[in-house]
Amino acid sequence: MRVAFAGNPNSGKTTLFNALTGRNEKVGNWAGVTVGKKEGRFKVEYGEDNIAVDLPGAYSMSPFTPEESITSGYIREENPDVIINIVDATNLSRSLFFTTQLLEMNIPVIVALNKVDINKKEGVEIDVKALSQKLGCPVIETVSNDAKHKGLREIASAIRLAGKGQVAPFVQSDIDLHDKDAVDKADRARFAFVNSIVREVEKRKVKSSESTFADKLDALITNPIAGIIIFAGVMWAVFAISQTYLGPWIADYLVGWIEAFQGLVEGWTANAPAIVQTLLAEGIVGGVGAVVGFLPLIMVMFFLIALLEDCGYMARVTAVMDPIFKRVGLSGKSIITMIIGTGCGVPAIMSTRTIRDERERRAITMLTTWIPCGAKVPVIALFAGAFFAGASWVSLVSYITGVVLIFLGALLIKAVTGFKYRKSFFIMELPKWSVPSLKRAFFSMMDRAKAYIIKAATIILICNCVVTIMANFNWHFQIVAEDAQDTSILASIASPFAVLLIPLGFGAWQLAAAAITGFIAKENVVGTIAVVYGITRFIDTEELAMTGGANEIAVAMGLTSVTAIAYLFFNLFTPPCFAAIGAMNAEMQHKGWLWSAIGLQLCTGYAVAFLINQIGTLVTTGSLAAGFIPGLIAIIVMVIITVMISMKIRKNFDKQYQLHDKSVLGVTR
Amino acid sequence: MRLSDANAGETYAVKDVVTGDQEMEAFLFRLGCYSGEPITVISKRRNGCVVAIKDGRYNLDKYISSAIIV
Repeated sequence: MRVAFAGNPNSGKTTLFNALTGRNEKVGNWAGVTVGKKEGRFKVEYGEDNIAVDLPGAYSMSPFTPEESITSGYIREENPDVIINIVDATNLSRSLFFTTQLLEMNIPVIVALNKVDINKKEGVEIDVKALSQKLGCPVIETVSNDAKHKGLREIASAIRLAGKGQVAPFVQSDIDLHDKDAVDKADRARFAFVNSIVREVEKRKVKSSESTFADKLDALITNPIAGIIIFAGVMWAVFAISQTYLGPWIADYLVGWIEAFQGLVEGWTANAPAIVQTLLAEGIVGGVGAVVGFLPLIMVMFFLIALLEDCGYMARVTAVMDPIFKRVGLSGKSIITMIIGTGCGVPAIMSTRTIRDERERRAITMLTTWIPCGAKVPVIALFAGAFFAGASWVSLVSYITGVVLIFLGALLIKAVTGFKYRKSFFIMELPKWSVPSLKRAFFSMMDRAKAYIIKAATIILICNCVVTIMANFNWHFQIVAEDAQDTSILASIASPFAVLLIPLGFGAWQLAAAAITGFIAKENVVGTIAVVYGITRFIDTEELAMTGGANEIAVAMGLTSVTAIAYLFFNLFTPPCFAAIGAMNAEMQHKGWLWSAIGLQLCTGYAVAFLINQIGTLVTTGSLAAGFIPGLIAIIVMVIITVMISMKIRKNFDKQYQLHDKSVLGVTR
Repeated sequence: MRLSDANAGETYAVKDVVTGDQEMEAFLFRLGCYSGEPITVISKRRNGCVVAIKDGRYNLDKYISSAIIV
């Protein structure tokens, strides 16, 4: 049987889905975590013939966002065998509106009355029996995030009996659905019916509109000034703990194990041919090991972000940031996208779906990958370690530059597309605060760690092997001599690109090759550098990569501290990996926007690196760096193209605006 | 009066919602924000406010709060 999970946003659908199926789908304490539907088989003890279908949250059967239309569309057209309607017991009066609509669909409904633990704490009593009688369907109390799995077995047995004697308690009168007033009247009647049920089954000790301690806390956290200071502090703590304190401390141990493994590999391959040795020692242990060594930093970061997502803070941050984001033409919800983006760009880009305005949604999709993601952490750490004695300001400056670029980029998009769109309304439910679940954060962390290791063992491993071979052979498939690497396949492919990078201060083919492999996965930048410079041991000693004394690498790469930053930022702010570009394509559904995004990212990476190199070199040495004039010409060309695109858009403005409006009003996907 | 001019801590009855955006109004309706229903201002800021509608808390920006007439 197919069992659809439907209910209001943030009622706990995905948490219940995870508990019943044993899956580990993303959950969080704000409205709109789940994007798209997800399917999973029930666990054996709950009936493995059942397929659970988790749907995005919806307030009613008439959709407001594209996500809501997935839910109503699925229920209308795919005829699930049973609907589990997850009802937030703390907000019965709102939730039952949707419940009564679901009961009209002629599909067996089981109501999972979720979050009853919170009600108990707050002195709210709901008469489950009476509610079940009034609705004409089973009502089961659940606590979906409870370790004891309250109510799950009852749900499983209710599914078997579902639909017996179910009669819709409220049937909308036959009205013309195009008549706004008639629909309005019918909806009022439905709410009146819901209110009459709630009055009879629910007893509240304290009225929910009364101000509580949590409200005072919210007032502080959403205060325009205090809120930003608090947010900056929270994010600083996340990065400091994961990248300066706890993360590196755990990494110490891991690097020890990698070292031991490297010793073993060397022992095994002592008698093997040179190329096998090179491939194993440089390509696999050197390149992949360099990436895996940073795993603890990323794991700690994911753990902390999962805690943030779980406690209810994210919704508050959107409230703080909305007025600021609005000025540059973005939605306040963009901050959630950006926070998720510190972990990985792909889920970040997917999270933009909950933003209602199409232009705002596409703008943040275009810009969000400038927030350095988990895969860029090794790149930042390598450069901070090799050139700046592991100084934590390198990482801080990278993130701040990312945020500044997003704001500037948003202003640019606003200017180019023309600032003439309808008012951007912003409403966000503030969920109840909850103690974040350590267990869930742990699972979320392990999930990401698994994905990271799989990526290291597949894509990054293959890339490193290919790069190793290309760097060690010439076109006649002869091994190149130690000092003649410039004749290798890799050198001849990367050299033309390297020429373009001379104005940026890093015209070496090795660095061009590393940047190119970075488009496959950003960790490759580290792996490729390890391979092409033959620095197999640069994560051997923790000090070398992360806490300074890394002159060896710095000298090998031939970069100054200025050009090192330029190269780092070039890698951070050029287009993201292919996976993220694919996600951008899927979300934007518009080739023009996609190519503009890639173009903007290329230009930005180039321009930022150019400015840092030229200005930095001017300040440190008193003269401009090589290639100033060609670089300047390139930048001017970029500006001209941008202006031309803008003029073209403005020329077709009226037409464009009409199209835009139509696509907003209609269903866009 | 507009909700944006209302006092924190007080409960009002919604008289009208005029956003000029039918979908937005339908959305607010489903949360329980429509004429005749109570709405409580929990806290106020320069750029918006936090309100209680039914048993939920929502953050509204100034555009929505000034479109709700109480």
